[in-house]
Amino acid sequence: MSLKYAFFPGCVIPAKYPHFERATRAVAEGLGIELVDLPFSCCPPTSNMKLVHYDSWLALAVRNLCIAEEQGLNILTTCTGCVSTLKEANHIMQEKPNRRRKVNRILKKVGKQYEGTIEIKHLLDALYDDVGLDAIAEKCVYNLNMKIACHYGCHLFRPSYILYPEFLSPAHSYVPTSMEEIIEVLGGEPVDFMRRFLCCGYPLGANVDEDGSYEILREKLHYINASSAELISVACASCFEQFELGQVMIKKKHKETYGFPTLYISQLMGLAMGLEPKELGLKEHIHKVKKLLPRLEERRGEKRASI
Amino acid sequence: MSVKKVWTIFDRSRLYECYECSRCSGSCPATLTHHTLGPRKILLKCLQQGQESVIEDPAIWYCTTCMVCQDRCPQEINIPELLTGLRNIGAQKGNVPEKVKFAVEKIAKTGRSLLTFRVERERERYGLPPLQEIDTEEVSRILTETGFFKDLKIDR
Repeated sequence: MSLKYAFFPGCVIPAKYPHFERATRAVAEGLGIELVDLPFSCCPPTSNMKLVHYDSWLALAVRNLCIAEEQGLNILTTCTGCVSTLKEANHIMQEKPNRRRKVNRILKKVGKQYEGTIEIKHLLDALYDDVGLDAIAEKCVYNLNMKIACHYGCHLFRPSYILYPEFLSPAHSYVPTSMEEIIEVLGGEPVDFMRRFLCCGYPLGANVDEDGSYEILREKLHYINASSAELISVACASCFEQFELGQVMIKKKHKETYGFPTLYISQLMGLAMGLEPKELGLKEHIHKVKKLLPRLEERRGEKRASI
Repeated sequence: MSVKKVWTIFDRSRLYECYECSRCSGSCPATLTHHTLGPRKILLKCLQQGQESVIEDPAIWYCTTCMVCQDRCPQEINIPELLTGLRNIGAQKGNVPEKVKFAVEKIAKTGRSLLTFRVERERERYGLPPLQEIDTEEVSRILTETGFFKDLKIDR
């Protein structure tokens, strides 16, 4: 399987959290994934553009698909918002001939045409499907040795009939397991907690009501706190921001301290693969993971790979 | 482009399949804030009183776009699609939060949803390549063709 992708980092990570991008590029290099940079524009988000002007949302998303198609490359994205938009736009162009005609008519005026020749994958799926758990295990030099609450977020897998159509249950639902399985391979322990798939609330805060969004987050934190988790793992920059800032705001308002360090999946992989905490930008975090770093234990008897 | 009806985005006949089980509102995270109508009420208002009864209500924006309502509806009604349609037409009538309008204007003008000054210094610190140049002319052209500037009364 070709491990060459058009890299779609989105808007937020390259601008606000470049250390996630750094971690992703380093992990990709270590795993033999080639990431090609193309002049993509904003995906655009389902949490603002789609809600305000559906036709524009679709046309701009398909424009991005065309840019990747022209290079014959599948898209790999680090953002769940982006994967949700791009996959759904692809789905609509495949399933709705009227919309396809309309969008292609517009794109023709800028010299582009949608053909439907590429796939879109989130980093988690590229790692799980294309790279494979065994190949990841081979490159790990440490066991994480931490109890981790995996927060998948919402846009990664809902609506599941569009985002994971081949994996639907008889009730047409889908429960993701990729992040937990990867974390197990990294030597971490994924813990279960109630309301695992509750939204973190970020889009509500970004659009309308920050205090309201922190009420939603508080519900999640309550249940994560009731479990044995020491760290939260996310696959989305917005979820990251919600957990990072939300815990500070909740402490101010409700005087409740949670203090869970939140790490993006590439950072966790980087730690297990032997990258320096500095390179992974761990000191940028508000809720420090420093106290958990001594837990990293070297894997004995396994071939040491260097990155 | 004239103001389109909500039903070009969401199939109106699906509204009749709701049997008011409340599973959607029961799962909706926005209901934890006590400011939202909840998906069930919005759907019923559309059914009983028509889209006009909710289109200009700011409460339809109280949604995190988590899609759990669609995931759990036993009749598989695409409630987020209904809310998308309502908010699209609502936006054209001025029912759109400031922050959302600001975000989409940024996308239309710069091709990105975030402002990026001072970003290059941080990126250099992490050894990252500079941000890609976006063809903002092309983005603008596409948005003119889709009627974005006209429908939302935004200057190009």
